[in-house]
Amino acid sequence: MRKERIALYEGMYILSATLSEDSRKKAFDKILTGITEKAGKIEKVHEMGRRKLAYDIDSKREGIYYVVFFTAPTSIIQELWKEYHLHEDLIRFQTIRTENVQETLEFPLLKMAQ
Amino acid sequence: MEQTSYSRRPPSGDSIFAKKRKSCPFTANKVKEIDYKDIETLKQFITERGKILPRRITGVSHYYQNLLKQAIKRARHMALIPFVAEE
Repeated sequence: MRKERIALYEGMYILSATLSEDSRKKAFDKILTGITEKAGKIEKVHEMGRRKLAYDIDSKREGIYYVVFFTAPTSIIQELWKEYHLHEDLIRFQTIRTENVQETLEFPLLKMAQ
Repeated sequence: MEQTSYSRRPPSGDSIFAKKRKSCPFTANKVKEIDYKDIETLKQFITERGKILPRRITGVSHYYQNLLKQAIKRARHMALIPFVAEE
């Protein structure tokens, strides 16, 4: 069998802002463990905080933004995608391939929203 | 339009058609990639209603317009910038 390729990914997640502190943490842990369970490795987690959405998603006006950098075998992305769609508190997500891990996020607009 | 040293051809007399050559802001700064999280930058290249501005107006090079397009679409998906902005 061919050796699996491993690549660096950047995932951005929007969790529902109506969740309580505990359930929000639980929901985000579910995302992280979802990656690590499938032989992925978390490189960096950025909590970008609460932010107003540019448009309503499922009649929600606010969301809590997270950015996660992780390395993972390329084949698991498809599985994660299916998993995320079943995740109720996750209102939007996006996983893209990147070249390097951003240690700091310097975007004043996002910082202000925290 | 103002007559500058960048003009495509020497402006003849008091021609109102003297063109000012636009230069690509990304090429000038040797940008490697355009981040979809950098909303401030992206907002310079969309209209008030949220449409992507054409290259002929902004002067962005073909290569960077492609990256810009991708970044704007990613930002839209994550509700960072609107698809259609209401007035």
